[in-house]
Amino acid sequence: MALQDICDFQDIFLDRGTSSLPFGKKTGFNYMRGLPFSNSTSLFNFYIPVAEYLDKSPLEFGQISPIQSASTPLSQDVTLPSLSLPENPLLSSPQPVSLPFPISHGTTTLAFIFQGGVLAAADTRSSCAGYVEGPAAQKILPIHSHMVSTTSGTSADCALWKRILSRELRLYQLRHGRRLSTSGAAKLLSHMLHPFKGTELCVAAIMCGWDGGEVHGHLDDTGGTKTDPGGCTETTKEIDKSVDPSLEKTQSSFSSVGGQQPLAREKRNGSGPCMFYVCSDGTRLQGNLFSVGSGSPYAISVLDQGVKWELTLDEATSIAREAVYRATHRDAYSGNHVDIYHISSKGWIRRSREDLKEEYYREKERRERGMRQIVTLSEENMKQTKMA
Amino acid sequence: MALLDVSGFSRYSELRGQILPAGRTHPVDRTNHYSFGTKTPELALPLGVDPSAFLKSCNQEAGVSIDLNHGTTTLAFKFQHGVIVAVDSRASAGRYLASNDVNKVIEINPYLLGTMSGSAADCQYWERLLAKECRLYRLRNKNRISVAAASKLLSNMMLGYRGMGLSMGSMICGWDKEGPGLYYVDDNGTRLSASMFSTGCGSMYAYGIIDSGYKEDMTVEEAYELGRRGITHATHRDAYSGGVVNMYHMREDGWIKVCKEDVSELIHRYRKGMF
Repeated sequence: MALQDICDFQDIFLDRGTSSLPFGKKTGFNYMRGLPFSNSTSLFNFYIPVAEYLDKSPLEFGQISPIQSASTPLSQDVTLPSLSLPENPLLSSPQPVSLPFPISHGTTTLAFIFQGGVLAAADTRSSCAGYVEGPAAQKILPIHSHMVSTTSGTSADCALWKRILSRELRLYQLRHGRRLSTSGAAKLLSHMLHPFKGTELCVAAIMCGWDGGEVHGHLDDTGGTKTDPGGCTETTKEIDKSVDPSLEKTQSSFSSVGGQQPLAREKRNGSGPCMFYVCSDGTRLQGNLFSVGSGSPYAISVLDQGVKWELTLDEATSIAREAVYRATHRDAYSGNHVDIYHISSKGWIRRSREDLKEEYYREKERRERGMRQIVTLSEENMKQTKMA
Repeated sequence: MALLDVSGFSRYSELRGQILPAGRTHPVDRTNHYSFGTKTPELALPLGVDPSAFLKSCNQEAGVSIDLNHGTTTLAFKFQHGVIVAVDSRASAGRYLASNDVNKVIEINPYLLGTMSGSAADCQYWERLLAKECRLYRLRNKNRISVAAASKLLSNMMLGYRGMGLSMGSMICGWDKEGPGLYYVDDNGTRLSASMFSTGCGSMYAYGIIDSGYKEDMTVEEAYELGRRGITHATHRDAYSGGVVNMYHMREDGWIKVCKEDVSELIHRYRKGMF
């Protein structure tokens, strides 16, 4: 895959002779060309349990099984010499790893694109099979200055893969002088997660980013290709008089469209807001509105109702907050606070975390006021009928 | 049970005891207060068959998977001018759409409505049985049956067949002496009263809409709009809901049918649609 080669991300499970992946021990993997790395600073150190462990009960998890004859010789350090070395099962078929304790994926995350960029919102409750683990989890993780990822699934998996992805994107940026697009980042994440398909890894992320623009430059827009009608008139002033007739034509075509051409209907210059949904089962979808998690059905209908391109930032924020609130109202695994992030051409901005308890009390107040109005109205009606 | 006495079937168990020898434990021999006066019960279970044990064996590990999901969206809510009931109209058999024009609201009588979600056969049969029972109550007692009593009858019918694979999620709505009434009755025997319910696999999507738009002091038009929106957005996202929105309004003088509108047209009106 071209993207992986460009990123120098080699498939860690490829059998490369002496660097075959032994099991049950720490392994280093040097893939930075020409840079010396010791084992402890290698980039992928995965503990992969020996196959025999997979049938054991949680109490026996971690016990060492008796020595069996080694199948392949090792060239690297052997830290646990008593362990056997079965063949790489991941090359044959991925075996499901049994979980040592029940893990639950409960959350509500959502994101949508509008004229001001991308808005991402999530609740903050982390749960573990019916037990609320923590009221203040961070489910929206920034990847770099112009991209965030909302995460749903196993929080450990999400945190790890988000860090790996940030690292890869930063390396790409340093090597190539520009940020990788959201589409590329989503593709990279999808390929990184692919070897784990069929295992219990669970990551469902929405990558929200603003593409485009050089890292050390500015958007080039020669020839008046800017779709913003205001900008169009400015650029025309800079261009030669000889080119004027063609420019007038383009100007008139803009005005005939009504001057309302949104920026990202077709992304000119490859810039603008972009959103991808990436899942550990291999799904990678581009879209304009996503909601992920156990509370997502409740939120998505509220979003369907209210989201349109022309929203202002405040309206978009209140719709996102309302949607998360409705989901937390009905879903037991979502709750506590709501985080809202806004990604624009200038990068991501985080609003202060808002407690949904306030929203609940505000709504209760509103309902009570409504009830009181009904009661007073009916009392007045009764008085009138009595008098009449 | 008081209702049993009022309905006049206290002699039923004595009658059964005369017909069958004592000591037989058969589900059919339980007090069936809805099979009134007849010597044989409404549903004759064949001897030796144990439906609940059979159903327990039909799970994923045994290789069979009988999934009784309630594939529909129905919603109902109380507000100051009565009860709004809105349902979709799709009937699915696995992945096949059997019909897009099913009536999921049973008009029990001019002041009682029942919605259906779950297995179509179960819903239609048991709610018709409920309708028969309500009519007989009216004839015997010269008074309409209350919503609470009607829902209790249905709930007891469900409890009689608990664990045997019935699938029904129904809302009984009506207007009686106590005002507007709304009860949710389940195939497990659940019976709940509240001011807002939504059932079926599309219910989660509908909850988002009606939760955010609900106000006690809504006008009638606003309430109609909310009911339509709830069903429309649920049909938009749920594969097992669709067709048309059938909406009823339960008022003090009985129910009226408000509309029967196609969701594919409604969704264009509601989803302001940025794309």
